[in-house]
Amino acid sequence: MSSTTDARLAGAARVSAPPLDSFRHYRHLTLELAISQFKLRYTGSALGYLWSLLKPAMIFAIMYFIFVDLFNIKDGTADYGMQVLLGIVVWTFFAECTSSSMAAIASNGGLIRKAYFPRSILVIAASLSALFTFLINLTIVFVIAVALHQIDIGLRIVVVIPLLLELYLLALGISLFLSALFVQFHDVSHLWEVLMQLLFYASGVMFSLTYVLQRLHLALQVGTTAEKAPHLVWIVQVMAANPIMQTIEDLRHALLTPVAPWTELVVSGHLAAVHQYAPLNAAWEVPVPFLVVLLVVAGGALTFRSRARSFAENL
Amino acid sequence: MADQDVAIRVEHLSKRFRIPLDRSATLKHRLTHWRSASRYRILEALLDVSFDVRAGEFIGIIGHNGSGKSTLLKILSRIYRANDGVVAIAGKVSPFLELGVGFNPELTARENIFLSGSILGLNRPELHRLFDEIIGFADLEQFVDHKLKNFSSGMEVRLAFSLAIQAHAEILMMDEVLAVGDAAFQEKCFDTFNRYKREGRTVVLVTHGLAAVTTYCDRALLLDHGRLVADGETADVTAQYRRAIGLAADGTLTANEVERWGSRDVVFTGLRMLDERGAEDRNPPTGGFVRIELGYEIQNDAVSDFVCTLWLLRADGLMVSESQLPVSQYAQVGESQRGSGGTMHFDIPQIPLLDGAYSVEVELRGRRDGAAYDHIRHAIDFRVIDRRDRHGVIEPGGAWSVVPADQPVAWRPTALPGVGQDERPVRRRR
Repeated sequence: MSSTTDARLAGAARVSAPPLDSFRHYRHLTLELAISQFKLRYTGSALGYLWSLLKPAMIFAIMYFIFVDLFNIKDGTADYGMQVLLGIVVWTFFAECTSSSMAAIASNGGLIRKAYFPRSILVIAASLSALFTFLINLTIVFVIAVALHQIDIGLRIVVVIPLLLELYLLALGISLFLSALFVQFHDVSHLWEVLMQLLFYASGVMFSLTYVLQRLHLALQVGTTAEKAPHLVWIVQVMAANPIMQTIEDLRHALLTPVAPWTELVVSGHLAAVHQYAPLNAAWEVPVPFLVVLLVVAGGALTFRSRARSFAENL
Repeated sequence: MADQDVAIRVEHLSKRFRIPLDRSATLKHRLTHWRSASRYRILEALLDVSFDVRAGEFIGIIGHNGSGKSTLLKILSRIYRANDGVVAIAGKVSPFLELGVGFNPELTARENIFLSGSILGLNRPELHRLFDEIIGFADLEQFVDHKLKNFSSGMEVRLAFSLAIQAHAEILMMDEVLAVGDAAFQEKCFDTFNRYKREGRTVVLVTHGLAAVTTYCDRALLLDHGRLVADGETADVTAQYRRAIGLAADGTLTANEVERWGSRDVVFTGLRMLDERGAEDRNPPTGGFVRIELGYEIQNDAVSDFVCTLWLLRADGLMVSESQLPVSQYAQVGESQRGSGGTMHFDIPQIPLLDGAYSVEVELRGRRDGAAYDHIRHAIDFRVIDRRDRHGVIEPGGAWSVVPADQPVAWRPTALPGVGQDERPVRRRR
């Protein structure tokens, strides 16, 4: 393939405007697309934007009822409710971002076949519009937490920004991957729905990693599940590698209360004595969630890139 | 052709589409049929196409459906990637092919201007600056904050068009732009294209409408099954295309023309445009002699007599003139005999039209019942060439003279409003 579509003509002396590909121009287009998608998401519904608040609140109510009132599952901390609410808000972002971005390419066929711009813009715009909602919801959760005095603001709060960035990059990487595949294989949407169910429970939305390790500790002490123990440890290790769990846990610590420990300290086993849980003794696992994010972003971007050139033809 | 004048250079361009014989839209299919994943048909959309476009040139790409003309345009605007060959472009290319790209019916006109405008390559400050102009040109001042879904299609097209003409690309790619809109809108297109021409912008136009190509384009490319089969003067290339689709340049007509209807009781057998020497010429000069020769044949014995009407139309659809075979001539064509035919001439001694594209539309109609026997639109497309570069529509043949000062003048010009010597308002007498 020797196609150099945008190559300048040799000897072409014409003065031309700066190339269209300038980063500035596309940043502008991305924002414009994200804003209009954000506006469009709630048009036609009477409550409009309120839905983006009501939805996590209702899920929270259901989950809280089932977990706390019905099964009496608590991780012992006083502000468990607040922690669950934060977990649900984060999860809602992740779920909505990936599922709405997945269709970003396939549902914009008209645009892709009729206009030129980097295709990734559509996915980035869709994910940004989910991010706007998330940031607003997060602020509201924060304000509620402050109002209810369920919060202990400290310098830790600065960590929130890199944590949100990490979460966004993860969602974006997955979105790029899914949206590129979705063009040809609509199966991924069904597959992703099921995977999200699994991820929901593997991300500690309703409980903390400490809680899981405490249960493991108990199980090991009772000894009845001794044979199953290696298996359980393995599951917990996998959970600790999950960047969503890591960000939710760390956000709880940074944003809500220092009582919820840093994931990194839990995983490396530093707090085993304090919180009385089975130590993972897996200091090597501390950087794993970050590596997972990097891998997902790189994999997503590469998959997208190799498929993007044929979007216009396949749609 | 000097190299620095080249805006677009295309060399040995090829594009293949792989069309799966059984499209595997599911993973399951992919997984269970992975061995036969290579079962597809190759469609050669473009084959070894090469051409140059000079800066400031208006070029039309024509061809039948599936000839590859839209594919070519999409490769030029980077929507598709070529399989082989080189495309080099000097200058800023418009990134859109159609009007109203990115319009969303749920958004207001204002919001759509900002959204679609940014796809067209305009940024927010520019759009703020141009906003009033865009809305004003589209005549939509009262509807700025109405949702697009409540617009009529005409309003939507006006908005799209006034936005599109703000895109400051040096090279514009347009696919079937003229297929939408009413006559008034086409008029606006016409004006805008003329402005582009004056500004020296390069325009590549893909269209089914030969009229649009003849009107605007200096040069045309004809594609046939992915191959470039003609490249040259618009009149020559469109003639070749007409020949290819059945309406031959030598005047014989075939029936597969969509712009032809009628009961066929009497049919046109040939149409030619001739100059004063009797040679076929579709590019008459302003003021030149034009003869339109119409061959006809009576195919039904029941036909007693008929009327022949001939219209001259400008490319934008404006009727320039209508002319009917005079009653005094009926007898000569009215002798009904199956299989008999003849020839009619319509002579214009000095064609008064100025530079532009026109067409001849003809009809044979029953004199009694008025039923159309044979009606042909675009029977002859032609271009009047005005070597003196005059402005306007027609050459009225007017003459100027200056009246000597000492000569008494019977008529004195009345004072024009606002120009009179006295300050009193001019009152018009009954």
